[in-house]
Amino acid sequence: MSVLLTTAVGSYPKPDYLMQARNRLRRKEISRPELTELERQATREWIEFQEQIGLDILVDGEQYRGDMVEYFAEEWKGYAISGLVRAYGNRYYHKPIIVGKVARQGPTTVEWWQYAQSLTRKPVKGMLTGPYTLVDWSFDEYYGSRRKACLALAKVVHAECVDLERAGAEYIQIDEPAASVVPAEIDLLIEAMAIVTKGLKAKTISHMCYGDFTTIYPRILDLPVDQLDLEMANSNYDLLDVFKSHPYTKEIGLGIVDVHSHKLESLAEAKAGIKRALQQIPAEKIFPDPDCGLKTRTVDEAKAKLELVVRATREVKQELGLA
Amino acid sequence: MKTTVVGNYPKIPNLPRPAKFRKAIADFDAGKITRAELERITDQVTVEVLDEQADAGIDLVTDGKIRWEDEQTYLARGLQGFSISGLLRYFDSNTYYRQPVCEGAVRWTQPITVRDFQFAQENSAKPIKVALTGPYTLARLSLNQHYATLDEFVLALADALNAEARALEQAGATFIQFDEPAILRHKQDWALFEQAMRRLTQGLTAKLALYTYFGDVSGIYPQILDLPFAVLGLDFVQGPKNWDVIKTAPFTKELGFGIVNARNTKIETKKELQRAFARIARFVALDRVYINPTCGLEFLPRERAQEKLANMVAAVGAAGSRDTKRGNTKTAKRGSAKRESAKRGSAKKIGAKKPAQSAKKSKGAKAKK
Repeated sequence: MSVLLTTAVGSYPKPDYLMQARNRLRRKEISRPELTELERQATREWIEFQEQIGLDILVDGEQYRGDMVEYFAEEWKGYAISGLVRAYGNRYYHKPIIVGKVARQGPTTVEWWQYAQSLTRKPVKGMLTGPYTLVDWSFDEYYGSRRKACLALAKVVHAECVDLERAGAEYIQIDEPAASVVPAEIDLLIEAMAIVTKGLKAKTISHMCYGDFTTIYPRILDLPVDQLDLEMANSNYDLLDVFKSHPYTKEIGLGIVDVHSHKLESLAEAKAGIKRALQQIPAEKIFPDPDCGLKTRTVDEAKAKLELVVRATREVKQELGLA
Repeated sequence: MKTTVVGNYPKIPNLPRPAKFRKAIADFDAGKITRAELERITDQVTVEVLDEQADAGIDLVTDGKIRWEDEQTYLARGLQGFSISGLLRYFDSNTYYRQPVCEGAVRWTQPITVRDFQFAQENSAKPIKVALTGPYTLARLSLNQHYATLDEFVLALADALNAEARALEQAGATFIQFDEPAILRHKQDWALFEQAMRRLTQGLTAKLALYTYFGDVSGIYPQILDLPFAVLGLDFVQGPKNWDVIKTAPFTKELGFGIVNARNTKIETKKELQRAFARIARFVALDRVYINPTCGLEFLPRERAQEKLANMVAAVGAAGSRDTKRGNTKTAKRGSAKRESAKRGSAKKIGAKKPAQSAKKSKGAKAKK
């Protein structure tokens, strides 16, 4: 049985040439197909890198996506892209507006998944944003209630899951970083995810971050996915203490490097994190990875953090004599 | 019915208008422009925002809090005893603020918002309301590392903000609002809150407002009516229960009627707004109602914020012309018009420097005079 499989959460930084090309497309200096070619090149490079360092479950790195909600808003029917709103400080983003019934125009991410998977024999995760987060991070002018919007979006995300599974995806991750924004809506989060994952045979994962996880624990264990992917490194693994109050029962994507810090963790810190988790969760249920998507780091920083995840995991396995 | 806003206003417009405030901050951070230059642009943007509110037809405006990085740090930075820490989520929104950390005794040592008020006053066609975050909310959203209890922390902040309000009054502020959304999440702290509000308002003579939003006042109503404020602001969108709450006891204050959703882009229909006006009129005489968005407008893209305001004003106008208390409304309007023209007189000097759009408007104002 395989234990301590390493993986990543989703996004990787875009190399300089791709960032420049995205700007040039905005200025209409290059064509869309030219940009796509560079996105494929960057995807190829990330797949090669992940293979080279020996990561077990790969991601495509989302080189063709901007933001994890805006991307789907641009691809799907029923959305308008609004003006800029401020997130904090001097940071602004385009918050999408749901203006009609949301629907796919055919499979959205499948072609990219197929491309990435064609480059490697290791499994590549399908990577989607969950309905609760899609709704929470958009304005809704159509559905009229968060519940209606979530349940409608859940059906759309489910259809995409089915297509990914049909294409061969063994792992499908449905991210819900907004999960703990309104703890009282945990039932809605669960109800919507049940629609998303209904009947899937692929292993399902949900990543959550940016919030107070303690407000939704242990109820979140009822989320109908196989694995929760959680940030641990940037909070000194204090969630492990929370798990002492109520045993953690799912698989866990164990974040062992902080994606918001330029500083690289020491090998000893990363190994200690895995070992702490092993005291509470069996090895076959632990998937070491970075805390979150790495897109906010530089390419070099991201690579160093990923390499550390693999190396720390390998050493822990050797020391403990795990397969 | 008068119209007002709750506080902040989106800082940057969308294309084709340039996002000059965002660029100015980026340039300042990169060392490309001086602080004085950043201040000049901030003033310019503040004037634009004052004009946009006036153009939308709002009776009582704010300076848009362009200088406020968020609702907490602007005040905390100006007080003694605070440092500023990492990002935290602001209530249930997708916006974040930097958490103030109280590391020593909180003391008011100098005015924080007085210059902002004076600048706004000099550059506004409309009367200015100053909106400050209240001591309870400021304390709740900060990390207290100094005081032994929350009570001591809140009361120290109440005294500090009382000093700020006094300084504002001395500078001529006639309308001061305190925002206390946090009390709706911690109603068990009512006794402390009440004590803090009394300390906060002690000796103040300006017209005072207490605004709540992101929830309802069930459980602290009607006692909240006993607090020394002339106006109580309630959010009827995120706190629909407020409709039931105000039935339970006569509403004895002026009402800040938060009915235009400042957290969603969807434009309310005039019909639904007018239905809401008619409904609220059963509990509060309409000449004691300020119609306003539910909270600050910064959750919205700038153009949509202005559209919402204009739409709100249009709905009020249309309702006013059908209103049986027409006489009342008119008198109130005449009163504020008089104040407005007085304000415009003092704004003349700076008016010359305004961009084309507002220059046109102040010409119009002159013609009216």
